[in-house]
Amino acid sequence: MRKTLPVVWAVAANSFMENVRNRFFTLFAVFAFAAIYASVLAGVMAVDQEARVLSDFGLALMELTALAYALFNASSVLLREAETKTIYLVFSRPVPRWAYLAGKLAGSLLTSALMLAVMGLMHLLLLKLRGFGVPPAYAWALVGSLLKLGVITSFAYFVSLFSTSAVSTLVISGIFWTAGHFAAETRFLAEQSAGAKSLALKAAIWLIPNLQLFNARDAAGAAAALAPAAFLSAAAWTAGSYLGALWLISRKEF
Amino acid sequence: MSQHAVSFAGVEKTYRRPRLLGASYHTAIKDLSFEIPAGEVTGLLGLNGAGKTTIMKLICGLLFPDAGRVKVFGHSPSGSEAKSKVGFLPELPYFPPQVRPSQALEYYGRLSGLSGAGLGAAVEAAMRKTGLEPHAGKRVSEFSKGMLQRLGLAQALLHSPDLLILDEPVSGLDPLAIHDIRQLLAAISAEGRTIFLSSHSISEVEKLAGRVLIMVRGRLERTVRRAEWEAAPGGLEAIFVEAVR
Repeated sequence: MRKTLPVVWAVAANSFMENVRNRFFTLFAVFAFAAIYASVLAGVMAVDQEARVLSDFGLALMELTALAYALFNASSVLLREAETKTIYLVFSRPVPRWAYLAGKLAGSLLTSALMLAVMGLMHLLLLKLRGFGVPPAYAWALVGSLLKLGVITSFAYFVSLFSTSAVSTLVISGIFWTAGHFAAETRFLAEQSAGAKSLALKAAIWLIPNLQLFNARDAAGAAAALAPAAFLSAAAWTAGSYLGALWLISRKEF
Repeated sequence: MSQHAVSFAGVEKTYRRPRLLGASYHTAIKDLSFEIPAGEVTGLLGLNGAGKTTIMKLICGLLFPDAGRVKVFGHSPSGSEAKSKVGFLPELPYFPPQVRPSQALEYYGRLSGLSGAGLGAAVEAAMRKTGLEPHAGKRVSEFSKGMLQRLGLAQALLHSPDLLILDEPVSGLDPLAIHDIRQLLAAISAEGRTIFLSSHSISEVEKLAGRVLIMVRGRLERTVRRAEWEAAPGGLEAIFVEAVR
């Protein structure tokens, strides 16, 4: 284990640097700036609720931009490494597959954290220019977004190991992310329905994470810290997807 | 050290390709048995689809055999004992275009368990051996095919492996680059390392190898020693053509 941790770190650092050097990362950064700036226009139209709209709209756009990049990256990275034969140079060395997967996942999460930090800085600068301070629970909202990205990124890695293309991984992970925001509604429908429909909905509750847990600013008063359940849920889903991906990659031939 | 660097005993590998309904199967190698003696240069010849790359991937632990047994220095090729002794150069290796050669080598050195001053020295030595030192300031995007191949060789040599597996090491290179790579491989062989190389260029294999395995449709058709092809009229080429026809 002591010998393998530097390998995890090497893969993570290399993956992070490759992501940051990727031209798509620059495009996403430009898009993020444009999108956050667009929230200023929405804020102006909200008249007396400008601060609230500006902060909520900006946070939502930041999360969606980071999500789009994280999904794009996670769905294509293993496929690309196999196609370019880079993976041959890795797995012909004494690199355990769990270490490689953990490093790749850590590299993706570091990239997501950097994206959120840079976009958050841009957003706060715009808020300051409009004469507003830091919105309540702002840091918690960013932490919540990062937890969500952790869950969805590890899930996308898992899916990419059995799906036939990067597009199918994107679609499946996108559906997973969307459904995760309707956990409460799914639970309500499961309670209201009966028979096979109820069973299917109850199964869906267990198979889809409750991503609403990570929306810090949805809490009453919009100033609450994330509940411990959010951290536990993120850890459980990330670990579950990682273990699933590890099971698949351990059997995979290149 | 085991007397044989590599041994195959009754190895079979079949690829499964999923289809809309069911799957199709293609047997790449069948009932394959051979040994690669330690410290020698062994060549692997065969037409496209003869199973050359499959053999190399099995030795590197990238593929798993369906039947039979593969051993690398007496160990399973999937284990770290075997992998730490193997350096692999795949055909047309890829490196990120934005990095400098030393950055790429440092990454692969870390994956091989090197760190600190040892890593720096290994990178320097691999660049010197492969003639990359004058190009240290360039980015990979500025590299020619020959220089990329040298970088590929450098990553395979980083951890001073006992066994070098080279898949088409001179594929697509110009005559000068082929000459330089040949010189380099001869120097590595003189250090007592085992080299196993596949190539479509019979003359290259003829110049470097002491023994050649000829594969035909997934089976080992012939094993030829240098003395045999030197004595044969038409040399190795005539033996190869006769074997594959």
